[in-house]
Amino acid sequence: MSDLATTARVVGALGARSIRQTFRRPQLISPIVVFPTLLLAIQTGGAGAGVELPGFPPVQSFLQFMLAGAMMQSMMLAGNSGGIAFAVDIEMGFTDRLFAAPIPRFAIVLGRLAGTAALGLFAAIWFLAIGLIFGAEIEGGVPGALLAMALIAASALAVGGIGAAIALHSGSASVVQGLFPLVLVVLFLSSAFFPQSLMIEPARTIAEYNPLSFIVEGVREPIIAGIDATHTLEAVAAIAGIVVLGLVLSARALRHRLQVG
Amino acid sequence: MPAIEVAGLERAFGEVRAVQGIDLEVADGEIYGFLGPNGAGKTTTVRMLTTLLLPTGGRASVAGHDVVDEARQVRASIGVALQEAALDPLMTGRELIRLQATLQGLPPAAGRKRADELLERVGLSYAAERRVGAYSGGMQRRLDLAAALVHEPQVLFLDEPTTGLDPVSRKTIWEEVRALNDGGTTVFLTTQYLEEADQLAENVGIIDSGRIVAEGTPEALKGEVGHPHVELLVGEEAIAAAERACAEVGKVLPRKDGKRVLLEVENGSADIPRVVRALDEAGVAVESLELVRPTLDDVFVAKTGYHLEDEEEKESGGEMAPA
Amino acid sequence: MEAAANTLATPAWRTNLATILALMARAKNELVRVPGAAIPGVLAPTIFFLGLNGVFGALTQLRGFEIDSYESFIVPVSMLQGAGFTGAAAGVNLARDYEQGWVDRLLVSPAPRWVLLAGNVLAASARAFIPATFVLAIAFALGAQWPGLDGLAVCYLMVAATAAVAACWGSMLALRFKSQSAAPLMQAGMMALVLLTPAYAPLALLQPWLESVASVNPLTEVVEAARQGFVGSVSWSDTWPGIVALAGLLAVFGALALREMRRTNV
Repeated sequence: MSDLATTARVVGALGARSIRQTFRRPQLISPIVVFPTLLLAIQTGGAGAGVELPGFPPVQSFLQFMLAGAMMQSMMLAGNSGGIAFAVDIEMGFTDRLFAAPIPRFAIVLGRLAGTAALGLFAAIWFLAIGLIFGAEIEGGVPGALLAMALIAASALAVGGIGAAIALHSGSASVVQGLFPLVLVVLFLSSAFFPQSLMIEPARTIAEYNPLSFIVEGVREPIIAGIDATHTLEAVAAIAGIVVLGLVLSARALRHRLQVG
Repeated sequence: MPAIEVAGLERAFGEVRAVQGIDLEVADGEIYGFLGPNGAGKTTTVRMLTTLLLPTGGRASVAGHDVVDEARQVRASIGVALQEAALDPLMTGRELIRLQATLQGLPPAAGRKRADELLERVGLSYAAERRVGAYSGGMQRRLDLAAALVHEPQVLFLDEPTTGLDPVSRKTIWEEVRALNDGGTTVFLTTQYLEEADQLAENVGIIDSGRIVAEGTPEALKGEVGHPHVELLVGEEAIAAAERACAEVGKVLPRKDGKRVLLEVENGSADIPRVVRALDEAGVAVESLELVRPTLDDVFVAKTGYHLEDEEEKESGGEMAPA
Repeated sequence: MEAAANTLATPAWRTNLATILALMARAKNELVRVPGAAIPGVLAPTIFFLGLNGVFGALTQLRGFEIDSYESFIVPVSMLQGAGFTGAAAGVNLARDYEQGWVDRLLVSPAPRWVLLAGNVLAASARAFIPATFVLAIAFALGAQWPGLDGLAVCYLMVAATAAVAACWGSMLALRFKSQSAAPLMQAGMMALVLLTPAYAPLALLQPWLESVASVNPLTEVVEAARQGFVGSVSWSDTWPGIVALAGLLAVFGALALREMRRTNV
């Protein structure tokens, strides 16, 4: 069997393990699904009148607008959760077992990221379903929904890379867990929850340049208007940037971990 | 009036019957040793007697108060040092004793005085202002014991007080228990260490799988088992032949460690030559031979069919199941 | 038997009070002796305050919003959120104490169960002042309206009592599940209670389903009572419903928590 096929098989097996880990322990699902769903309900119910503000994009409902933000939040938390799980593996010594196996070292990281991407995909499906159940329409139809799901899964991979890098560098689950507030901060400073043009300074300016805003808009556009090439490409570029950052940081952290043991 | 009276005490957890109708009585001023392997029901029994767990059957009274109907009076009369030391790592030793004094209802001045006395008594005055998290295991046990004594209880419950301690710390705890008892405190002590029960307890109850299988003074219990036994160490390939040869001389007992052949001999050392002849005739090469007088482990074997010490060695290699 | 004699001579109320104060003193150790322990409790409501203000601040342009300053509108909610987090954290700490055997030490003492619970709950109430004051300071820095001393007093009363309610809720779950894994339920429950109110916008501007829920949620009265000084003037008619709501919630959750405390030996 070729090296590539072996690596793919290893990545698949480790990815499947990370998915099984999460779904077998409901307390790991709740931050990814329950908390963002609760926040979606509250924010939609509480700030829904915002659609009447001048300058608000034409949408069917505030729920339709918010779905992308909820998916992003869930995706970020999945990335954080994946980082925590990776750090727990390091603390328990499980990664040592993997390092001692005749597998490409980076496959270990990719396996974890594959699991995180799958969780991101689950989150996307969950919120699209919630939206449909509660009356939101996906203007881009099935292709639009698939695009949203693909972008979220890719984002989860990207953000997961940063989580994995932090886990590899620190080797501590509590350090990765301590980043949870940062997830919220980064999301609030983007257009995840409200149109960037209607945000208050300095949040508005920060959101304008925040890469997450480009991803959110890329995910949102197929839902509220239909597939748009510009938004999609901007989202892909932002994701690619984060992927590269995540890969570089992970590779360095992996080298560091292998050196210090 | 007995310090502790138990009649038909039971505790079930769903289908699992952890304690199956035990009866015992502890006289005022006695040290009672409750001996058994992990999972036997020792800690469950202690938790019922200290009102931390409700019995599902039977009755028990401590210091003259029913553990169910007069739980608060029981708590006011007892001191407890549980299997887990239950200390707060952020508190200093002195703060912990003073908190315990407050919980027991002592006024602040009396609590401060008592803290000084007890810390001195257990040899922790020098570490009184240090946080408990920095204490060694032995120090934590001594602090736990001091906390249990803050209100001069009538009955003291010690649940495996020396588990995990080094021999020196263990001896220190033993001395303290003896001193307490000399002062009139009744002590109910659970342990999985034979030597501890032998050394400290005036009466011993042996529990296995939730039932008391033997009760009495250590000497009386050992006397019941009666006979000394011979311990033989032979090569692994010769074990079966050795057991066959020994069976001609006396009663072969369950092997110890899976390697040592044990033979009960009615006449003690007088039977040794017969044992040696039988082994010689069978062509068994013996690495060592020892005559051993009865221990509480022998009592345990006689009552349960297996060694308590074998269980200890197995458990020390793996996870400890709660008693 | 001097110690035993001392115990009998002390009136019960004095012993109970001393025990409550001693447990509160122990609870403060985590803040004082663990570096950074106070940070998570302060960070969460602060992030929410700044985030929500930055994201939804334009809502004040809607008809029905009688105030221009979204900071003033939302700061009481963030203070109450902080109270909710603090109280839930008290539940998590109790679960941790249970797992480590510390609760056994309390349960085996003759102190009444309600006294043991009160120590934990009152400690949470006192601790809630920390995130509340931090968020308030930031809100003032961003231009929130001064609520007056009466408005401030009412707001802090609501914060302290909400923290007590949250601590009862958290304690109930801690003693029911005997595990820190119940922590998300403790936190999410309180978050939902505080935010399913006119938290983000006045009642009339909420979506119909949330307006219905908020109308029956006792915390709505608490939010309105806490907010009144920041958006207008303080009146007794806007204050007493919040007090009654909190008294009711304390009675219910307190009773449930006490029940669980009494059932730890079942």
